[in-house]
Amino acid sequence: MAVHAEVLDRFAAGKTRLTYEKSTLARYSARSLGDLLQEMTPIFVRHYGAGMLASPSFRGTSPGHTAIFWNGIPINSISLGQSDLSILPVKGIDRVEVQLGSAGALFGNEAIGGSVHLSTDLQKQQGFGGDFSQIVGSFGHYQTSFVGSYGKPKLRFQSKVYNQNQSNNFRYRDISRAGAPWELQDHAVFKQRGVLQDVWWRVNSHALTKASFWWNQAQREIQPLIGGSTRDTQADESFRAVIDYRYQKKSAVWKLKAAWVADQLQFNAEENQTSQGLLGLDWELPSAGNWAIRAGARGTWLNAKLSAYTTTEQRWEAYQSLGWQEGKRISVSINLRQLAYLNEIVPFLPGLGLDWQLFENSRTSIHFKTAFGLGLKVPTLNDRYWKPGGNPNLRPEKSQNGELGFQIKQSGTFSWFQRLTYYRMQVDDWILWLPKGTLWTPENIREVHNQGLEYHGESSWTTGHWNWEAHLAYTYSSARDLTQEGTQQLPYSPKHQGNAGLQLKKGYVAFDLSGFYVGPRNIALGNSRILEGFSLVNLGLTYSGAKWKSLQIPLRVQVLNVFNQSYQVLYLRAMPGRSYQLNLTLSL
Amino acid sequence: MIQFSKSILLLFLLALAFSACDPTTNERPLGVYDTGILIMNEGSFGANDGEVIHLDPSLGTLTPSVFENANSRPFAGLLEDLVLEENRLYLVANTGKVEVVQPGDFNSIGVVEKDLDQPRSVVTARGKLFISDYGPYDANYNTPSSYVAVVQGLDGGVVKKKIPVSSKPEDLYAFGSYVFVAGSEGNKVEVLDANSELTFKTLDMPGQPVQFFELNGDLWVFCHDDQKVYFVSISKSGLSQQETSTFPIAQATGRIAKGDADTFYVLTSSGWPDYQDGISVVSIGSGTLIPDWKKGTGFYGIGYDPDRQEVYLANAKGFQGNGEVIIYQKSGAEVNKLTVGRGPSGFLFR
Repeated sequence: MAVHAEVLDRFAAGKTRLTYEKSTLARYSARSLGDLLQEMTPIFVRHYGAGMLASPSFRGTSPGHTAIFWNGIPINSISLGQSDLSILPVKGIDRVEVQLGSAGALFGNEAIGGSVHLSTDLQKQQGFGGDFSQIVGSFGHYQTSFVGSYGKPKLRFQSKVYNQNQSNNFRYRDISRAGAPWELQDHAVFKQRGVLQDVWWRVNSHALTKASFWWNQAQREIQPLIGGSTRDTQADESFRAVIDYRYQKKSAVWKLKAAWVADQLQFNAEENQTSQGLLGLDWELPSAGNWAIRAGARGTWLNAKLSAYTTTEQRWEAYQSLGWQEGKRISVSINLRQLAYLNEIVPFLPGLGLDWQLFENSRTSIHFKTAFGLGLKVPTLNDRYWKPGGNPNLRPEKSQNGELGFQIKQSGTFSWFQRLTYYRMQVDDWILWLPKGTLWTPENIREVHNQGLEYHGESSWTTGHWNWEAHLAYTYSSARDLTQEGTQQLPYSPKHQGNAGLQLKKGYVAFDLSGFYVGPRNIALGNSRILEGFSLVNLGLTYSGAKWKSLQIPLRVQVLNVFNQSYQVLYLRAMPGRSYQLNLTLSL
Repeated sequence: MIQFSKSILLLFLLALAFSACDPTTNERPLGVYDTGILIMNEGSFGANDGEVIHLDPSLGTLTPSVFENANSRPFAGLLEDLVLEENRLYLVANTGKVEVVQPGDFNSIGVVEKDLDQPRSVVTARGKLFISDYGPYDANYNTPSSYVAVVQGLDGGVVKKKIPVSSKPEDLYAFGSYVFVAGSEGNKVEVLDANSELTFKTLDMPGQPVQFFELNGDLWVFCHDDQKVYFVSISKSGLSQQETSTFPIAQATGRIAKGDADTFYVLTSSGWPDYQDGISVVSIGSGTLIPDWKKGTGFYGIGYDPDRQEVYLANAKGFQGNGEVIIYQKSGAEVNKLTVGRGPSGFLFR
């Protein structure tokens, strides 16, 4: 049972989507979701150091404007309103789907700049399966992981256990000191471990259920800024559990979802605990003639116990989706959602999308895609309740997003795919924390207009025994603050980004070369300081021919930052130079 | 002839000797930053992008990133204070260092970069640096281990001793071998002996002492609490309080500028729920008070240019980007408005 793919497949017409499955994720198995999104998508990830906070910026929006789901449940911190991508290890995920643009009607709270959908998928294979993987890398990087699975026609299990250590004792230039001497990074140790468990059970011919559990614990020494000497530490621990029950009778499907997410964050001696319980019920007609219909409701119970405040809150939402499809030619989606929190009903969220096949022959198809949607973010609990400074009178942040694009697909011996999307977005009532005398307090103050172009192309071909795959992407993103004189580009919103990759495979040998570019970005409003653009290149070589009896022993060598570039994603945050990883897997 | 030649030679040698002693020919030429106004930009927390901007008030020209341009490296800290003493300029970063530069060109002379926590200010006495430092935060974000760090020599170096003082020391003032410390959280001024590097005496204050200044040759300290501000004079010789001028100015922020004679400009901030910032003007001698000389939001620093008799008001503009400096005449009329770096917080008038 794929939890979110269904919604994206049926009711997300016109929206820009990117999907990454096991073959791509395998190349990132020792890395974080932040690395994957930065290197493969149009998203800019604000990396605060190696293994440190990594927060996404979609289409020039802020990190809190991204909804992140795991098996269909929102996992952004309810107090902070965002996720740290560094502590979402790719090893724990079987599928990543990225949707760009506001989609509040489809995904609810926080889907302003876009949304990320992580899921665990159980293999259909019968019997036992599993692999044990050991990764050793530069700067004290060790990762040990185990994946075990068992499948019968009506019952499947999957277990994952991982443990990761990074000393992050890389060398960097201390540009704050005369002569910019080389220094060894100190106080940046990253440790992470976790357990995932999935169970899939076909109860009978009408009903099936899937339950997933994820425990993740990360402990970090917070890497000080270049020239700084802070000695902060942070420990994050999350429990996430979700159970889905699906009942199908005739053409109607009922889906019941119950979930529990508990997060604990300890910063130095300060402890913060939050939890949320979620209960939702969907009714769906996946295919009623040309129509697909979905209606549902969800309740969320939030509980926060922080050093600065304690509170509880309930949220309710009702939603409806309509899909209309005429063969492969036209697909239309209409989504509606109403959300309420405390005693407030927030603005109604509609969304509309269209996929229109303009041309098709045996080899070529051309599609026109367009989507319009609203997004919304309920002020975080910190925004409203933090003592001192929290502002209980904040309004939700709101967005409007429109996009249109063309995609061309050509199949054959040299097949390729190209997509060009233009988007335009407006975010109002953007919340900023501002100093008021000696106190900082949040206000609905900023109005931002974003627009940009996203190009994505990929191709594959064969020469002799060699199979080639290539991709190329470029993003232009303008995000201008209208509340400032001269409508300035938002801080840390690069106008230009791009990535490219080449995979080459012959028999058991696979070679991959990838690179990405992040353009110049100002560190604050105005152009008083602009960080230079940077580009990094990564190389990988995989040999999957080694075997011993039924045991497969794939081996992978990876070089990151091949040209040993000295760079900062954020000002004065040192990043590692060239590093090596060796990945040995024993796979049943 | 020989006599004459000897006389000429003597005169010549004398002239040479005198010219060699002429103080004007041996004086260091004025550097670019020896005149004009240095604007402190504190920078933003988490970005450590503090810097100094130079303003030439006669031409109205601004030179940004003075430290970085002179030294080809970023300041990389939050700039808390700018202190000119002993022909050296000290840039105090509350992120843990004190940079020492030549005042004329900002070329680096040295640095104190280790064993500091949250330095606030610096003073020189007896050939040593005394650096007030909040010390590290404890688990409850209190600072029970505040100190004054001592560095031998005036050009930076290593911290040789930490003299424990009351919580959150701010400004420092040196007179002879005495170093006065404004212990802001403990409501006391502590006097250190610069020779023995020990606390010598403690004076209780009516409010939080934050800023020393000289008035008519006497030492004064500015103190404040929630309801009032206090100007307290301290006898340099007897090391005791002399007189106190009290004004009913509520919610002073601790930032002041000394104007003409005994006039002071005091920054205030009302806090929740109005968040109204303001400037009150007081005159110590006459007791005159103008409570609302200016009102607004975002006020973050204040200075007074004694040459042009103008008030400089820094506005941090929420630390979102560049800040702003507004220049007023004494009458309150606006003269000019400048866009400056992030978090403008103070001024040094050269």
